[in-house]
Amino acid sequence: MTNARLKNVRSAMVLFTVVAGMVGLAFASVPLYRIFCQVTGLGGTPGVQAHAPETATDIDFKVRFDANVNPGMPWRFKPVQREVKLKLGEERLAFYEATNLSDKPITGTAVFNVTPLKAGQFFVKIDCFCFTEQTLQPGETVDMPVSFYVDPAIYEEKNTRDVKTITLSYTFFPAQDGPEKVSAVQSSPAPGNKG
Amino acid sequence: MANAADAHHDEHHDHYPSFFSRWFCSTNHKDIGTVYMFVALFAAIIGGGMSWYLRLELLEPGIQYIEDFQFYNVLLTAHGFIMIFFVVMPGTIGGFGNWFVPLMIGAPDMAFPRMNNISLWLLIVAFIMLLISAFVGGGMGTGWTAYPPLSNGIFHPSAAVDFGILALHLAGASSILGAINFIVTIFNMRAPGMTLHKMPLFVWSMLVTAFLLVLALPVLAGGLTMLLTDRNFGTHFFDPAGGGDPILWQHLFWFFGHPEVYIIILPAFGIISQIVSTFSKKPVFGYLGMAYAMAAIGAVGFVVWAHHMYTVGLDVDTRAYFTAATMVIAVPTGVKIFSWLATMWGGSIEFKTPMLYAFGFIFLFVVGGVTGVTLANSSADLVFHDTYFVVAHFHYVMAIAAIFAMFAGWFYWIGKMSGKQYNETWGKIQFWVFFIGVNVLFFPQHFAGLAGMPRRIPDYPDAYAGWNYVSSIGALITAIGTLIFFVILFRTYAAGEKAAQNPWGEGATTLEWHVPSPAPFHTFEDQPDMSGKAPAE
Repeated sequence: MTNARLKNVRSAMVLFTVVAGMVGLAFASVPLYRIFCQVTGLGGTPGVQAHAPETATDIDFKVRFDANVNPGMPWRFKPVQREVKLKLGEERLAFYEATNLSDKPITGTAVFNVTPLKAGQFFVKIDCFCFTEQTLQPGETVDMPVSFYVDPAIYEEKNTRDVKTITLSYTFFPAQDGPEKVSAVQSSPAPGNKG
Repeated sequence: MANAADAHHDEHHDHYPSFFSRWFCSTNHKDIGTVYMFVALFAAIIGGGMSWYLRLELLEPGIQYIEDFQFYNVLLTAHGFIMIFFVVMPGTIGGFGNWFVPLMIGAPDMAFPRMNNISLWLLIVAFIMLLISAFVGGGMGTGWTAYPPLSNGIFHPSAAVDFGILALHLAGASSILGAINFIVTIFNMRAPGMTLHKMPLFVWSMLVTAFLLVLALPVLAGGLTMLLTDRNFGTHFFDPAGGGDPILWQHLFWFFGHPEVYIIILPAFGIISQIVSTFSKKPVFGYLGMAYAMAAIGAVGFVVWAHHMYTVGLDVDTRAYFTAATMVIAVPTGVKIFSWLATMWGGSIEFKTPMLYAFGFIFLFVVGGVTGVTLANSSADLVFHDTYFVVAHFHYVMAIAAIFAMFAGWFYWIGKMSGKQYNETWGKIQFWVFFIGVNVLFFPQHFAGLAGMPRRIPDYPDAYAGWNYVSSIGALITAIGTLIFFVILFRTYAAGEKAAQNPWGEGATTLEWHVPSPAPFHTFEDQPDMSGKAPAE
């Protein structure tokens, strides 16, 4: 190889490395995007903490509950209470009720977010049925708990001070490695955007 | 590069390979450029034909011609893909880029001539795959953005979308290889004395474009691969049922998609700069500012992508950032517009067809740029989103503007490429028919969009009938203009006058005008010494 040719090949190698790096970045964006949403609470991603703050405020707040089931999943799923009134910073326990309407055991996993989306980082879960997969035997009904609090910082942030009500929404999907997985997913239309 | 065997071979300038070797196995940058331009022209007939069929359906309210709405969606999807990936990119980058980058920097050929051939044929295979997708199980009716869930296995269960994805993969690979070729050529093979700050602006535009391609297309490739595995191999990158997020696709797509629109328009900037300078008989005003404005547009283009997705529920601070960043782009583009005007100012302007098209380009780009600043406002965009206002905006600023630059380049360089000169009178007639046509076609779409007409629908309420009728008449005038162009093209090759080495006189200073017309099979085997010459000369 002549010198000029060698120089060209070297330059091309650098550029091919850049291309490979960008492909890698595209795939790295998947976990990075998830972490980014969790850290910032953007897109209505709730936060997770071990326990609520020591002292609650005396500011009134309302949390509503919403429940959805993927149409391919033969479950009934509804909140036990439509809404709760609480104080900012106060820890609360709420329940959803799920019933397996089929004659087979079914494992489901719940996807969740809160609206308004900007309130995501201030809605903090302490424990939730959605952290793990849930298996229901045929005909079984269970109460599923979620404990949470609303961070009082929501009242201090100027962009979120107008928020007085947060809606917590769940959608149950058949668990991807559960017994029902293939048929249930493929026969169902896509869920709405619960991102 | 030039070993002994090559040197011996290259002495015979008139020695062309046989037809098959010359056009199918070519490693010559000029022949590859010619084939690219042929592909672009052929694809333009198909992609343009689709849009005229869409406008025919939209001529009146109600359903007249396209009863299958999926087919309507397939047509508009294919129109977008074909115009972007198989008309504008092969035309400006593959065609003019291959032809004139080596000529303008005084290089004998591209750095990797055989890789150049691979780029060409990957693109042709990609085009065939895309056409096949239209005939598989209902076709790909996702729009060129291919958002899931519409593009996933539930709503597009057939292999059509898979064919489309693979077509884009191949077109992307073709462009990445081509871009690497351009960067290496421009960095390593310039004539002695031609520093980066002396390169013609068209070469600068190709350099910036090539960098955008290398950085943006791999991200599309990654996203497309995820979509492909979501569809076929049970992954859940974009499926919330498995913990994925469809919005992630939009981020990945537009991280590629926004630089992509600059990939389309930057080579057009380069062409227009050469032409404005030539026909004003002045060097371009603010040469360095022009070059670095393009670099700035390319850089800022990577941090504005979410202005395509203001309606997905972004945080208000996020939207404020993307609004501000998007508006920043108006600064370097303004630098370019005003530098073109300043180049013309006090120049001895000659209104030949290429210059008319350059004027047309600047007009269209300014109109589209103004609506672009309007749309950049995230609050206003909530109303404009997915209306015909957006359609009018991007056709002005990017689609038709790029087509005007391609016409400008064709009329400017056809003498150099074919050795035959076009007919000036017919060139001017073609310009005016086409210019009036596209404005009648796209300007009323602003009004329809402001009135609320949504994109991507085959039918609309009677309230929008008037402007849609006008728009479709404009499409007819544009079609006539296109037909006249093909007559000029045919006549130029069949009966055009012999082109002089430099038909444009003193204003045309770049190196391609220093070789005979048509440019010989081999040029600049002895590189010219450019030391001491002015920039872009």
